[in-house]
Amino acid sequence: MFTRFLIKPGAPQWLWVLGVLGDFLIFGGILFGLLQLVPVRFRRPLIVALTFIAGLIYSVEFFYPADPKTQMNFLTPLRIKLGEATKVVYAFALGLGTFNLIRFHGGNVIRNRAGWFYSLIFFISFFAMAGAGFWSYYCPSKAAENTYNMLFEGIVASLGATMFSTIGFYIVSAAYRAFRIRSAEATLMLLAAFIVMVGQVPVGAYITSGLPEVGPLRNLRLENLSYWILSQPNMAAQRGIWFGIEVGALAMALRQWLSLERGSFFEREL
Amino acid sequence: MDHATWPTGTLVVLLSILILYKIFSARLGKSLFIRRIPGLNAIDEAVGRATEMGRPMVFVPGIGGLSLPTLQALSILKYITGIAAKYRTRIIVPTIDSVVYTVAEEIMKDAYAAHGTPEQFNPDDIRYLSDDQFAFASGVVGILNREKAASNFMFGYFAAEALILAETGHQVGAIQIAGTPSVLQIPFFITAADYTIIGDEFYAASAYLSREPTLLGSLVGQDYAKALLILIILAGIVTVSLPPMHFHGWLSFLNHLPDWVKWFQ
Repeated sequence: MFTRFLIKPGAPQWLWVLGVLGDFLIFGGILFGLLQLVPVRFRRPLIVALTFIAGLIYSVEFFYPADPKTQMNFLTPLRIKLGEATKVVYAFALGLGTFNLIRFHGGNVIRNRAGWFYSLIFFISFFAMAGAGFWSYYCPSKAAENTYNMLFEGIVASLGATMFSTIGFYIVSAAYRAFRIRSAEATLMLLAAFIVMVGQVPVGAYITSGLPEVGPLRNLRLENLSYWILSQPNMAAQRGIWFGIEVGALAMALRQWLSLERGSFFEREL
Repeated sequence: MDHATWPTGTLVVLLSILILYKIFSARLGKSLFIRRIPGLNAIDEAVGRATEMGRPMVFVPGIGGLSLPTLQALSILKYITGIAAKYRTRIIVPTIDSVVYTVAEEIMKDAYAAHGTPEQFNPDDIRYLSDDQFAFASGVVGILNREKAASNFMFGYFAAEALILAETGHQVGAIQIAGTPSVLQIPFFITAADYTIIGDEFYAASAYLSREPTLLGSLVGQDYAKALLILIILAGIVTVSLPPMHFHGWLSFLNHLPDWVKWFQ
């Protein structure tokens, strides 16, 4: 807001950062101060009104016909700006998360709790990754880039991929338990899963390759059976669940928008 | 975000009116029938089990930001924290999002204070782990294993980490209740968790647990809205299944009957 008027384009980056921080503190302070000035009995109606207005902007923007060329209406620019503002608030909240991490792991190290060593590893990892990030951003060089890549691509991404890979083992153990249950539903699920899985691989196609590719018997080829299960009964069930979810989301959105969700989050009234 | 077309706009308004009508009729004191949701009934049992075993519970509010699924998860967290405060059972809440972390912390503080046990709130039991999906998952897996959780609640938006969390919970012997609007993760939860809340039941949770008339009205409204959608689908199936019609005279308007389906395409 003020930053745009006070700082000229091309000014150093740190000046922009300071400007944005200043903006946030000034406007945040004004808003907080105004909220404190409002008498207690008016605070809830004020928040309800603000929630309603915010929701109304999004609702009208959705329902108001858009220009076919730009796919925008008179409220779309405001919605985009609101989305950007939300990102800024989120960026500030990130500091709270970091503070929680440091407080929790700091407590573990200082009080020598069980597993304090892992908390120490957290601090080493945290400062190493942050340091490499700042180094490669503010003092770009081959060494900085290599260090950052080694830490991020070599360790962080690899650890993530390792965790993701464990899903394969968990699928096997979960499937074993699910199919072991002796019931009509489990038998049906086992049969469907077998057809779908075998139908997805070349050996499945080979098993029923003797069946004709045309005519009614082609429906019994494993790859066709597999496709039918996925695209017909499975898709129908998924869409049924989707309908329910979307209706539920609509009901919840209405409750939030009209502030009808009282007592769902906090016992105390403002 | 797309803009509403006439059919979707009309349908959204129609469903909204139906839901709001049920909400306000419930507020006027009209008694409503509520169907049973086993997964939500099992919450008390899961808390009771953790209390008997003297082991903590873990509540994972998904991997989403402060969106509708997460808000619903937080309303369930409030209910569970309330019971945990009553029975003096520890509850650990790992979060992936710093905004969710701050809101969840306030909800838990408030719930303990409301039950007259503010001293029970331990700030170390609500933890921001990481905003990286699998770093978060490995953090939760660590907590489940180290703390030997007796109950594991998974509510909110989940993705690929759903099975990792649910299978780990099963391995440590936790009773598990899960609910998510992520359709692709529902099969994993059904397979690995003891109770799974499916589809719109997830968004009915706060109504079901609080028994607040306003929210119960919304739950009944949801059912009516679904009934309306089913009727539209059935009418569509019948219409497109009819053979081409050739009526003459005053019945000729029936020749255009199949055209209404195109309106929804």
